[in-house]
Amino acid sequence: MPDLPEKKAGIISCSGEELAEGTVTRLAALKVLHQTRRGDTVTLCLPLFLAGGEGERTFAKFYPTITVDGCQLRCAARATERYSAKPAASLVITDLAAERGISGIAGCRRLNDAGQQAVEATAEVLAGLVDQVLGRTVPPPKVMEDPVARRPVGTCQCGSGVPVTMLTINGRAVEAVALPILLDRFVGAGRTVDAAGLNDLLVQVRIYNEVLPEDEAAWVDALRLELESRSREGPP
Amino acid sequence: MMVGKRRVVIVPCSGIGKPFGTVAREAAYDLVEDLRPDTTRIVALSKLVLGDQESRAIVAADPVVTIDGCKLNCAAKMVKESGGTIAVEVAVLEVFRRHKDLKPEGIAQLNSEGVRLALVLAQELLPEIDALTTATGEVDHA
Repeated sequence: MPDLPEKKAGIISCSGEELAEGTVTRLAALKVLHQTRRGDTVTLCLPLFLAGGEGERTFAKFYPTITVDGCQLRCAARATERYSAKPAASLVITDLAAERGISGIAGCRRLNDAGQQAVEATAEVLAGLVDQVLGRTVPPPKVMEDPVARRPVGTCQCGSGVPVTMLTINGRAVEAVALPILLDRFVGAGRTVDAAGLNDLLVQVRIYNEVLPEDEAAWVDALRLELESRSREGPP
Repeated sequence: MMVGKRRVVIVPCSGIGKPFGTVAREAAYDLVEDLRPDTTRIVALSKLVLGDQESRAIVAADPVVTIDGCKLNCAAKMVKESGGTIAVEVAVLEVFRRHKDLKPEGIAQLNSEGVRLALVLAQELLPEIDALTTATGEVDHA
């Protein structure tokens, strides 16, 4: 995995609708995403590993991902590992609640006091794990609450996921996973759009995308066009 | 083998990126907790993603109502992939188009319009759910 400029931690919650602990996972994840580690974290709806596209399935490879599960089935952790990549860390609410002495979590739709305590405890641990996977030794300064989540552009339909760009490769529409970030880095590093530069960029692109040998030339052409297009449009 | 009322399985999407996903979840709870607690039940979408055998058996045996928050239709897709039969497929966006005054906002905490939109969606489903549960069939698996 390349040293990308804006490293973020991925958070995937099971959001299990049958159990109150599933609601805890969802609310704790949202608290970290929108409040305590806003800007440092991204998420993806768990079913998109199957219902989404290649961009979604690359999620945990692209972002070091922390899964949050409500029960011992560990749907989020197991599905993430099965369909994307092994999570960097995992949490299970029933374990965490037992460790913290929180009992009687109830209320799938409206959590009771124990459920709210579990949300706070989970969000606290989750934020610590985010710092850990991002290699931070000191927590970031507190930010003001903002209910509106920042969303990366050009991602999945639900407003989350790895950014993608649609390219035409030998007449086919191809979803180029992570290309917006890779292009930003290329431009930001002051690289020249020549054969050597494009070859280096293609090496990075291959990490997240399948580039067939017979399509290499078409990928290089498409990358050149994308870079030229950015150059005309100026900085984002 | 008993014969009696069926339970309709409600599978909302697990959308966490936009308020429409929360509306789907809220509507599901309106149905199973308030409006039809005796004849409906929820199956968690995450279990279907994982391929949980018990959940697959439930959606394969009983009629399913899916409620999706975006056009990717994860709930409907996962139920179909799990061998389930969808009796009713609802998209929150479709209901919202008919009730533009109920614009949902907030993901962790829906605004009052979002809560009302969820209730409207749930209420619109009642005739179909009642028709499904008055048909006799193998008894529920709850």
